[in-house]
Amino acid sequence: MGRASAERARAAPGGFLLALPLLLFFASAVLWPVLDLLRSSLGREGGEALRAVLREDRYRLALLHSVLLSAAASAGSLLLAAIPAWVLARDDFPGKRVARALILLPLTFSGVMVGFLTLVMLGRVGAVPTVARFLTGAPIGSGAAYTLVGLFLAYLYFEVPRATVALESAFRRLPRDVDRAARTLGAGRWTRLRRLTIPMLAPAIRSTLAITFSASMGSFGVALILARRFSVAPLEVYTELTGFQNDAAAGVLCLLLAAITLVVDRLLARGRA
Amino acid sequence: MSAGAGGLAPRRPRAGRAGAARIAARAWTASLAFLLVTPLLVTAWGAFSRSEWYGRRSEGAAVAGAGTLFHYVWSTWGSALLLSASLVAVVVPIALLIGVPAAIAFERRPFRGSSWLEAATLSILSVPGIALSVALLFAAGGSPRFWLLVAGHLAYTVPLVVRTVRHALALIDPRLEDAGRTLGAPPGRVARRILLPMLRPSVTLAALLVFTVSWGEFNASYLLTTPLVQTFPAALFATYTTNSFPVAAAATVIFLLPVVPALLAIQALGGEALTRGLQA
Repeated sequence: MGRASAERARAAPGGFLLALPLLLFFASAVLWPVLDLLRSSLGREGGEALRAVLREDRYRLALLHSVLLSAAASAGSLLLAAIPAWVLARDDFPGKRVARALILLPLTFSGVMVGFLTLVMLGRVGAVPTVARFLTGAPIGSGAAYTLVGLFLAYLYFEVPRATVALESAFRRLPRDVDRAARTLGAGRWTRLRRLTIPMLAPAIRSTLAITFSASMGSFGVALILARRFSVAPLEVYTELTGFQNDAAAGVLCLLLAAITLVVDRLLARGRA
Repeated sequence: MSAGAGGLAPRRPRAGRAGAARIAARAWTASLAFLLVTPLLVTAWGAFSRSEWYGRRSEGAAVAGAGTLFHYVWSTWGSALLLSASLVAVVVPIALLIGVPAAIAFERRPFRGSSWLEAATLSILSVPGIALSVALLFAAGGSPRFWLLVAGHLAYTVPLVVRTVRHALALIDPRLEDAGRTLGAPPGRVARRILLPMLRPSVTLAALLVFTVSWGEFNASYLLTTPLVQTFPAALFATYTTNSFPVAAAATVIFLLPVVPALLAIQALGGEALTRGLQA
């Protein structure tokens, strides 16, 4: 073992060479552009843009919408996905593989497509209002896609598969014998859930929330299709850039968006193994 | 039967309340799967049926046969389809060439600063795609857009490669490589004959992940596209805003054609746990 580790230590420069392409890519395609954006946004002009963005109600509202919508979608998808994740990890029944495939399918859909699917279901002549009119005579849900509720449902659509994936692997890692021991000691179903399962799952729950929150904060295509009367932060970036040529505001908004996402991610990751 | 017997016999669903709870959990799972797939079924139906409830005067009604519909999509958005195909063809090999050696370095030959580099790479996944595309535009807006798109796609796929391959490497016993070395094999041969064959499933998995992400990427791509350099998801946005439902549905079906088999293959390779961090 001593020899092997000595050999590996001797080979350390090899490690640096192996990671060199990544280092070069990261420095040129991520770090340099981001630092450039930081530099231009923290300069004098950038300071004015930052003040303007923080003063303007439109931007503040868009940022607030983004945060609230992402938090709601994050919590909602966690609640919706918890039971299916447990079923996929622990239960067994015919058709389970099909159910998992169907639940995970939306993982790779781009946001615009999720927006379109929401229109297909809840647009002004969507499937839900059409069926509802056939059944009850009233087109229930017509145009719901364009409301905040519709946007929330669209976010849930792409967050539920993410939450399911993350929680399922957590349920798989959960040691079973602890639960069995508690049961032999006479602990009831709810006591075990409250005192064992949830505390053991806490890191996974936090990381699931982080994954879904950051995916929602960055989501752009869904709002591009659906947002009519309100806005979210990525949409404001797009509008500033393409509509008003206001590069300074777009840059500051990008930085705020990225900063909020990374800070929430760090906070939730704290204490994660 | 005593409670302790649960440790001996395989646990069977118990009758009564537990059974009802289990059935309810399964029903919940099945309905969730059904809810998630319904919009796709409605969309596919729209692309393949001669339905006219979306309006007789729409362009769709004129080209309602599925054949003409797909021909129309191809003639209008074919160039975007080709661009996305060539983008994927470039991004997948480059992402593997950057990510696989880096994963080997992080797991087997850590150097000073390697854990920093790894953490920084993985944290890209938490940066909103539009923020990175704006940064790329400001810093290098004059470069050819195709290569800016490649850079943006690599930023969101290389971390997936690093994580997938590193996870697999951690499960491979390093003593196998040590054995090869003590038997006199030079490092190149150890990599070629021992490490890479054992890594093949995870590299395949990583390639599939990169493919599906790059094929559907919109957040980081849309601002980088131009009318001439347009990805297929950007074209999807155009059909959603300008074309009628059957045309948009047909374009969506074309988008899904490669995604569904790739996702099934990812699941078959056991990659569910590694798909986290995909942006929407």
